[in-house]
Formats: sequence, C-alpha cells, structure tokens
Amino acid sequence: MISLLQSEWFKLRKSKFVFTAILLGPLITFFYALMLQPDTFGLEKRFLWEFLIAFTTLLYALRFLPLTTGILAGLICRYEHQNGGWKQLLALPVTRSRVFLAKYTILMLITLTMQLLYLLAIWTSGVLKGAEEPFPMMLLWKSIFGGWIATLPLLALQLWMSMLFKSFAAPFAVNVVFTLPAILAVNSEKFGPLYPWAQPFLMMYVSGDAENDIFFVPWEQVLTVVGGSFLIFFFGGLLYFRRKENI
Amino acid sequence: MEYIVETHHLTKRFGKEIAVNALNLKIPRGEVYGFLGPNGAGKSTTLRMLLGLMRPTAGSIRIFGKDLKKERISILRNVGSLVESPSYYSHLTAYENLEAMRKILGSPKEKIDEVLDLVRLSNAADKKVKSFSLGMKQRLGIAMALLNDPKLLILDEPTNGLDPSGIIEMRNLIKRLPKEKDITVLISSHLLSEIDQVATYVGVISKGKLIFQDSIKAMRNKAQLKIRLKVSDANNAYRSLLAKGIKTHYQDHIIYLYEQSDEAVAAVVETLVDEGYSVYRVEEEHQSLEDIFLKMTAGGDDR
Repeated sequence: MISLLQSEWFKLRKSKFVFTAILLGPLITFFYALMLQPDTFGLEKRFLWEFLIAFTTLLYALRFLPLTTGILAGLICRYEHQNGGWKQLLALPVTRSRVFLAKYTILMLITLTMQLLYLLAIWTSGVLKGAEEPFPMMLLWKSIFGGWIATLPLLALQLWMSMLFKSFAAPFAVNVVFTLPAILAVNSEKFGPLYPWAQPFLMMYVSGDAENDIFFVPWEQVLTVVGGSFLIFFFGGLLYFRRKENI
Repeated sequence: MEYIVETHHLTKRFGKEIAVNALNLKIPRGEVYGFLGPNGAGKSTTLRMLLGLMRPTAGSIRIFGKDLKKERISILRNVGSLVESPSYYSHLTAYENLEAMRKILGSPKEKIDEVLDLVRLSNAADKKVKSFSLGMKQRLGIAMALLNDPKLLILDEPTNGLDPSGIIEMRNLIKRLPKEKDITVLISSHLLSEIDQVATYVGVISKGKLIFQDSIKAMRNKAQLKIRLKVSDANNAYRSLLAKGIKTHYQDHIIYLYEQSDEAVAAVVETLVDEGYSVYRVEEEHQSLEDIFLKMTAGGDDR
C-alpha cells in the first residue's frame, strides 16, 4: 500500500499545475486577507482574527477548496485515462480497492496540506496587520480540521466522477454544478445544514451557537450529512471502480 | 507437459454476443505461444481475462498452476504484459515511467537501466514519452513488461506500428527470452507471418472459438504438397487410372495425385502416355500456412 502511495504521488507531482492548484487558494486568501479592513465594518481590532477567518472562508471554503480538490481529483485520474494507464496499472500485482484507496489518500493529504497553508495565510496576514490578541489556536483548529472533514465526502464524489468520465471537463462540470448553489444554501436555515457542498463553509465559519466542543456545527449534522454523504460517495466510487469492465 | 497457462471452458459474453467461447488454452512452459486469429476473434478479450482486467462469464483460468480468481496478486507478480496499444504516462520520461512502476513492483533500481538497455532506449531515457515515436513507445512497453523479471510475458500485437527494422528487433528479442531467461511468452497477432517467425506453439482462434492448438510443426505438416496433372480429356484419363488401380482425385479438369514419390509420379505419367493421353503439365502445388490459416478461420463462419 505504501509503495502504491509513493508511485501515485510520484506520478501526480510530475503533472503540470499540481503545485499551482494547491498554492492558488491559500495565496489568494492571503492577499485578500491583507486587503480587508476591519474598521470599515465598524469592528474593533481585538476581533481581527475572527474577522479574517469569517471573511476569508466565504472565498476559500465556498470556492477554492471544493474547486481545487475537484481539479486535483481530475488530475490524479487524467494520466490514467490518457494512454491506457488504467489497464497497465491494474495488470500489476495490485487490487482495485487499493488503487482507489491510494488515490483517495493522496487527495486527502493534499487537502489537509491546503488547509494548513490556509492557516498559514491567515496567521501571516494577521501578524502583518498588527494583530494584538494572541492567535486563537483553538478556533482555527476547529475551522481547519472541520473544513477538512467536510471536504472528504466531496473528494470521494470527485474521485468517482473523475474515474467515470474520460474527459477532464465532465467531472469538473459536475463539481461546479454542485458547488455554485452552495452560496445560496449557506444562507438558507433549512437547506444549508443538509447540503453536502455547503458543509466545508459551515464547518469552517466561526460561530458560537453549535454547542459543540470540536466543530462549529452540531454533531448530528457532522454525522448524518458529512458522514452519510461520505459513505455514499466513497463506497459508490469504490464499488463502481471494482466492477468497471472496460478498463 | 507442464502448462504455464491453462484455461478451462473460458467464456466471455457481452450481452448476447459471445466474444470468447469455451476456450481451453494450454500453454506449455518455455514455448513462444502464438495466439493467432483475425481482428475481433476474441484475442484481446482473452488476454484481458488472463490478466484479471476482465471477469470471465464462465470457466476458469490457472496460471503457474494457481487459480487466477483466488491468487491474482501472487500470479501477477510474475507476469509481464503489453496489452493492445502501448500504455504510458506521457508527462513522464521513459525512466520515470519505469520508476512509477518499479515503486509498485519493488524491483531494484538497477533493473530500470537493464530493461532500458535491453530494448535500446538508454539514450532516450530522460526524454518525455509524448515525444516518442510509436516504435519507441512499443519498446518502452516491452521494457515495462520485463521490469519484474516475469516468468510469463503476455504481448498483444507487439509489432503493431513498428517499422521493418523494429519488427526484426522485436522478433529477435522475443525469440531470445525463453532461452536466456526461462520466460514463457504468449504473443497474439492477426498476421500469420508474424507468428510463424517467432512461435513454437500455435493456438488459432476464430469467432471466439479455439479451432487449432498444437506445435507450429504440427501446423506446418498440414501444409502438405500436392502434385497436379493437366492432361487431355482429363475425366476419361482419371477413369482409366482408376481402372489400373491408381487412386487420384479429380476436380475441375485437373488430376491430383495422392502418392507423391518420384516413382509413383513417373508410373502415372507412363500409364497416361501408354493409354494415349497427352500430358501437358506436371506441377507441384504448395499449400502455404497462410492458406491453412485462412481455411481454418473461414471454417469458423459456418459455425
């Protein structure tokens, strides 16, 4: 399994745009955060951290996180689709489940890296803006870790779609179609908590009313919406790949 | 005889169409087994099933004496393959392609240089594969197939798209492998001439059915010589030969002899001349392997 992960990462890191894709979201977040002025919103400087997180999540969690992971899921399957990579890979002594799991694990780790880069972007911009309060580590961990967990089901679906479609554009279109309404969903009390694509934002957005020590949303929501959609997307994709005939 | 590959009633159905029909392949150890058949006869489907890329509808596959269904991973550790068009990662160099594969196989790094050298790609090792010619890609495919020191090498139409010198090089490589490295080779082609030059054993598939399987010598024996006679009034000549107790075959004003020794031919000619027939031509007719192959595969049509 380790060897499969190494091989997968080797193939991916040699692809074009991988590092650009990973860095783009956190980098834009950084510059966006630098431009934000809390006083124009009538906020005191002691709420600077909360302010930065709240505003950047709108951009990062609603847009960059789901779209970038979609691109990466497409990239990790693209080179297999192009010149018979699948059949060559699967004729090696590997099982399909392991191949699926290896690709998923790589995507998971990259997403985690992106979250940490986001954390770095917020921290650096806050320090540059002369934050007086200590860095709210607990708050950010909640947000970083929560956003990562919330992205896992989306990653599974994106991997499934990228395996299903030979073209790069098709799974990306699916991804966009589901991601765009998220901005509407998060404004809805009713649908927001139920919509899987709204979860990265909801779990990253700083709020105090969830009565949850670990996340910004209630446990029921984490378990049912995030956990449920993860099970469906992950095992749907895995089953599809295991049964795929036309390799 | 020890069989490296043995299938039992191997069958693959796509909907109503039967692509592979109750195949009983037997590939003896150390042979170059030529898997021959017209395009669409079911060759690739069979090879895909042997590699576990496709599930058989019915039947079983044993490779190295192990059941493929149960021990796929341990079997594939000792199998190298090149299925249909060469597979490669175009964004990687030749070396990196092999490296991505080596990581999974766990072979030593030196092996990469060794196989690159074997297929004469050492000079192009650090070039991106997308700039390769088809022949170079094909050779890289062979290098990949040899990376794990396989005991069984499965090559699907390996000379497709190669130029003449590439074809000769490939042939020599394939012929060398069983002797030097104790590799059993399964090679498929729709061209008899290809198989004829490298294979020691042949299986002919047509419309999903295996219609011939034996050594290439046995197949050549089928390509027998015929002596044909063109004479005046052939029909009556045939009858008078028959009256003298000489059995022949008459068809379209030509007399074919069963006995082909010099004496027998001389005796027939003498008899005909004595009887007053004019002998115009005494000819040898060769039936090539190609004719036999065509007859075999055409026979498949009636089934």
